[in-house]
Amino acid sequence: MSQALVDLVREKFPEAVTGSHSHRGDEVVIVRREDLVEVIRFLRDDPQADMKLLRQIAGVDLLTWRTEMTGGGSLASIEAPEYALQKTPQVEPRFYVAYNLYSITRHHALRVRVELRSDDVKLPSIHSLYKTADWWERYLYDMFGFEFEGHPNLQRLLLYPEFQGHPLRKDYPVRKRQLLVPELDFPDLIRGPGPGPGGAGLPMSQTHVGRHNVDPDAYD
Amino acid sequence: MSENPHRLTVLKPEGNVPESHQIGDEAAIPVLVTRLGESIGFFEKNLSNALGWARKNSIFQYPFVTACCGMEYMSAMAGRYDIARFGAEFPRFSPRQADLLMIVGTINVKQSPVLKLVYEQMTEPKWVMAFGVCASSGGFYDNYATMQGADRVIPVDVYVPGCPPRPEQVLDGLKILQDKIQHQLHRAATLERAPDVELETKKRSFLGKLLGK
Repeated sequence: MSQALVDLVREKFPEAVTGSHSHRGDEVVIVRREDLVEVIRFLRDDPQADMKLLRQIAGVDLLTWRTEMTGGGSLASIEAPEYALQKTPQVEPRFYVAYNLYSITRHHALRVRVELRSDDVKLPSIHSLYKTADWWERYLYDMFGFEFEGHPNLQRLLLYPEFQGHPLRKDYPVRKRQLLVPELDFPDLIRGPGPGPGGAGLPMSQTHVGRHNVDPDAYD
Repeated sequence: MSENPHRLTVLKPEGNVPESHQIGDEAAIPVLVTRLGESIGFFEKNLSNALGWARKNSIFQYPFVTACCGMEYMSAMAGRYDIARFGAEFPRFSPRQADLLMIVGTINVKQSPVLKLVYEQMTEPKWVMAFGVCASSGGFYDNYATMQGADRVIPVDVYVPGCPPRPEQVLDGLKILQDKIQHQLHRAATLERAPDVELETKKRSFLGKLLGK
């Protein structure tokens, strides 16, 4: 359907495209990482392509793809067992990043894919082309640890800063438990900073009259 | 009514004081009962009963609704099941006015400080109900983001299992909580007073003489 689109990209960037295929009606173009921004800029601005909508940026981890092992080897443990990772054949390139583009005016879609090796997970940000890429790239950084160079605010999106690891990577242990988040530091809004309860920059839990300040025999 | 731990016990003539009782562990040391102590215990018990009766029949809840259990909470609130029959009539959307924190739904790790803050903002006396398996144990969300039970952050009084629980289960949990409230020791004032050092010293010297130390 949008084979013409693939041909358009191939014609414009003959050396950037390393492959293309169609999977159940979805055209996929695999491009080199260095040319990603230029290809997407061309697809956005070219009147024939006119892909003004970035539907999604998706990440794929192929670590367990050949063995169909979906992390079950680490089910019983909170650590990823070394032997399970050693048995797992390394697939290179290990990661895919797929940009799903859509044209609202021409009603065609194209998936632009970049392949990343596991030792180098940096790729350019397309935040300058699509505003929505801001949160998608933060999401991918959160879940996979991809580093988008040029992103203005590359922090975790869904998880919290203290989180260890990247949970959608296939070597993240299934039963791994994270530490509890530190308590919120709420200053006393009415009385302001000072030596009183809630003041002096102390966390509220330390100064607030909770159960630990009350006669322990009162309610139990 | 359970055994009141503050009730003064009678010292038997043969002096059956266990060896394990240390000086300084006043609550565990039996002392001679007096008419005064007896009458204080009587009034304390009656006051506790009355306060427990009042508190268990006017539970104001704070619904901390985060997930699909909220539908069952609404059902338990609404006319067919009508949690108001048991006095738990008003959801208060300020924790400072609530007695019962209902954790309705999944709590994830990122959310736990908020939950703890809400709990700490509630005034004493306060109780907590874990509504559904997610709040009780994490449920089937055995994954990287979900707190495996809200009791990892705050103390929980009643666990209501179910995914989501039927409103009958919620009412049952509420009845269990009412039982618990009735059997707790309630006091008119709950803040701890500063210990009377002189009196404590007197008590110890008296007991020391009594125990032959």
